[in-house]
Amino acid sequence: MYTFTVNGRTVTTQKKQSLLRFLRDELHLTSVKDGCSQGACGACTVIIDGAVCKACVPTTDRLQGRKILTVEGLSEWEAEVFTYAYGEAGAVQCGFCIPGMVMCTKALLDVNPDPTEDEIRYALRNNYCRCTGYVKIIEAVKLSARILREGVIPEKSGDDWKVGSRVHRLDVEEKVLGYGKYPDDFYMEGMCYGSALRSKYPRARVLSIDTSKAEALPGVIAVLTAGDIPGENKIGHLKHDQYTMIPVGGLTHYLGDAVALVAAEDMETVEKAKKLIRVEYEVLPAIHNIEEAAAPDAPLVFEEEESNVQAYKHVSRGNAGKAIEEARHVITQHFETPWTEHAFLEPECAVAYIDEDEDVMVISTDQSAYCTYHECSLMLGTDKVKAENALVGGGFGGKEDMTVQHHAALLAWHTKRPVKVRLTRAESLLIHPKRHHFVMDFTMGCDADGKILGVKAKVASDTGAFASLGGPVLERACTHAAGPYAYENFEIEGTAYYTNNPPAGAFRGFGVTQTCFAVETLLNMMADEIGITPWEIRYRNAIRPGGVLPNGQIVDESTGLAETLEAVKEAYDAACKAGKPAGLACAMKNAGVGVGIPDWGRVKLIIEEDGKLHIYTGASCIGQGLGTVLVQMIVSNTDLCREDIVYERSNTWIAPDSGTTSGSRQTLVTGEACLRACRKLMEAKADGKTLSDLTGREFYGEYLAKTDPLGADVPNPVSHVAYGYATQMCILDPKTGRIERIVAAHDVGKAVNPLSCEGQIEGGVVMSMGFALRERYPIDENCRPTERFGTLGLFRAHEIPKIEPIVIDKPGLKVALGAIGIGEITSIPTAPAITDAYYRFDGERRFCLPITGTPYERKG
Amino acid sequence: MAVKKRFPYRAAVVACNGSCPARAANECRYGCAGCGNCVSVCRFGAVFMNENGTAQVDEEKCIACGMCVRACPQEVIHLHECANYIVVRCSNRDEGKAAGKVCEVSCIGCGICEKNCTAEAIKVIGHCAVIQEEACLSCGMCAVRCPRGAIADLRGILTRRQERR
Repeated sequence: MYTFTVNGRTVTTQKKQSLLRFLRDELHLTSVKDGCSQGACGACTVIIDGAVCKACVPTTDRLQGRKILTVEGLSEWEAEVFTYAYGEAGAVQCGFCIPGMVMCTKALLDVNPDPTEDEIRYALRNNYCRCTGYVKIIEAVKLSARILREGVIPEKSGDDWKVGSRVHRLDVEEKVLGYGKYPDDFYMEGMCYGSALRSKYPRARVLSIDTSKAEALPGVIAVLTAGDIPGENKIGHLKHDQYTMIPVGGLTHYLGDAVALVAAEDMETVEKAKKLIRVEYEVLPAIHNIEEAAAPDAPLVFEEEESNVQAYKHVSRGNAGKAIEEARHVITQHFETPWTEHAFLEPECAVAYIDEDEDVMVISTDQSAYCTYHECSLMLGTDKVKAENALVGGGFGGKEDMTVQHHAALLAWHTKRPVKVRLTRAESLLIHPKRHHFVMDFTMGCDADGKILGVKAKVASDTGAFASLGGPVLERACTHAAGPYAYENFEIEGTAYYTNNPPAGAFRGFGVTQTCFAVETLLNMMADEIGITPWEIRYRNAIRPGGVLPNGQIVDESTGLAETLEAVKEAYDAACKAGKPAGLACAMKNAGVGVGIPDWGRVKLIIEEDGKLHIYTGASCIGQGLGTVLVQMIVSNTDLCREDIVYERSNTWIAPDSGTTSGSRQTLVTGEACLRACRKLMEAKADGKTLSDLTGREFYGEYLAKTDPLGADVPNPVSHVAYGYATQMCILDPKTGRIERIVAAHDVGKAVNPLSCEGQIEGGVVMSMGFALRERYPIDENCRPTERFGTLGLFRAHEIPKIEPIVIDKPGLKVALGAIGIGEITSIPTAPAITDAYYRFDGERRFCLPITGTPYERKG
Repeated sequence: MAVKKRFPYRAAVVACNGSCPARAANECRYGCAGCGNCVSVCRFGAVFMNENGTAQVDEEKCIACGMCVRACPQEVIHLHECANYIVVRCSNRDEGKAAGKVCEVSCIGCGICEKNCTAEAIKVIGHCAVIQEEACLSCGMCAVRCPRGAIADLRGILTRRQERR
């Protein structure tokens, strides 16, 4: 019997288990998040006897007499202060790390009411955040300290909820105080737990599966294999090549393939049962990399395919070969970029149950409830499925595919009980699609003045064990490889290969992160060869309104690349003058999926019984702040105020399908649909009606972002409805070789919430500092990723440099009030800018990421 | 605080649990010998001999000048960042069996800490666990899982202060 106090209440337990499991499973204190259970992420941080502690570490037997505090135990005043400070600073995005950060804040301020910035960074440094880049969390701690010292909460700096206002995000309180629910926070009556037995080999034939011993284990409710799938076994985001479970006789494609599913009363029994399942395999040679996949006699990853080529793209305009031949300056170079793990703080989780309509209801953390609905329906062979987003603890592209949703749905369908399926962190690292590893060969030709005449490239990517978004990622890598410059001759050939590695798919930047590194590095080399600055070569080539991109698209008035260059000019010149190594890179990124794919935004505004306007849209808010954006748009375009509006989480039975949260598209596409619904609402209100007069009415808005397909037979195809542009600059400390600051200027058309925009920029920059300098995801000879969450190389709070976001509004886009999504571009030019700064520092060119020879390189 | 400290704060730490009374017959060759050199050279009164006769550091008073580190004939004192409060409290480099015999709370180089470290920050080098401070996330998983109690949480949260077995 162990006795201790939790939030002032004395508790006793006989079970020896981790404090995290006790707090969550027994006391249901769900502010204590389970991000890894390995002591790495910090999401479960609590305060024990005044000191911070990760709750997954100590077991209950060590806690006799201890006083434990969670966010639920904060005083009302503290809760109010932290909610205000985190909201005012813009520190909350996906929110999964926030309760842990709040605990660190309190523990620090309790002993040190006026900490220095360094002390704050140190207090936060054992907790990871993947969204914010820590900048605004550090601000929130400073602000909390000031308020706690002064005893007065100031006015909010932005509170009118108009577009352009720095309002506190609408989900700040539920995320700071930890009562907002992510799927793992659902504890339902009669809920059981499910998990998949994964393949033992990356490529093997399943000869037999014996589940009898597992089924006989007390506490086991169901053991399912491929034969138990009522609909299609093969699902997938676009291409249906992802097996729900590998059938007997079938091939496994990677170590994450499920062979059987177990549901049991508790997780311990699930794990025991999985060990009792006997699977016989015929082990076959695996495909480890692009070279093996491309070899003429290579074994096939998919027997049903003719080769291991998953996708092939060829983009050509003008005559790149001829242009390069005739160019005064020509540079050819080989580049490589690594696999990258999204490392969102919340591991994948879904809870499924049979609802009152006898539908399979899936509560999940994903980037589109409709994708979950479609794929689960396909697999169950019925459309009696519903899906709803809970809070989503970060995505960055890694939650677009099915990982747990379909398994939870199938187990619920069979057992008729609520089932929770949650990936462990180790499973998460293995299973969801990663950023593609790319190998690239680029040639660029310029004239004597540095004008780009032509670029020719050949790239290949490892798309792993199933297609996911491998094709579109390759396509975007190719279409954007030319860079945001005005020239006519461009040719690129790209191939994505299946291998037996973990799958690769969407990741913030969507292929552009990779090819941008190559083309921007070439441009920096070219500037040196010609004898002009990297700034000058970009300014001379920059695409400007009315100009024609290498893809043939004539760009509109919102095109602000030159403005982003001008925004960093002064700082760039000053750094160069001061003898500080400074590196520069530009980028463009589409907003909206584009290239002829039907890209719909849909919003329904319903006035419900409470007399309030409820926003329903099947667009996931994954931490980027879509709900806040929509509310700001409504307040700006109707006569309603914030209090009249309720933002509803995405679902599939009231909310209309508004596409996936992908391609930086929701602010623009769903935003425009929302504006159209607002117009209808205002027409209905024209004769002086109040909201409650309209109770029960629905106002529907939809918008199709219409584009031309790739290779369309028109002189100037519209590939994308909008592009965002950016220039980022990295300045090093010449003494230490550490990054002193990064200036990131972004053209966003119209910043709906500049505070959120800055948060996106800071988070994107820090994420790509990792991509450039340290993050790794090595895969061993058994196709198994070898890193843990704590060794991925993610940046920590004490390591980040000063980051200066510059948000540039440039009107010109005719829809969504001119707002262009910023989600991805923030991560794109960072790596080439950093790489160039290191060249200026030590004279060494670097063509492979992460780069070596920097103080950030991991030792040992 | 007597002396203004520079951030990040550092302090000396004695890598010996000192469970065996110093200078006993089965004395550990690697541990604190209880000579008291460190206590005499410290100008800030930050080092003292605890009830076992083993040197211990008061981090509040210590300014990490390194005098005690240089004065220690056994080389069991080193400097660390105070923010890294999880420390290995043993310097025994004998193989497991021998190390296990001389002291109840010695590191036997079993490697359980290494296996459980999420950050690959702790490694057994020469039969004794060593923490690489830069990589350590101070979670204390190593301290909690150590079957010997050789790894300590200096705050006294995850392991009790001067924990005995």
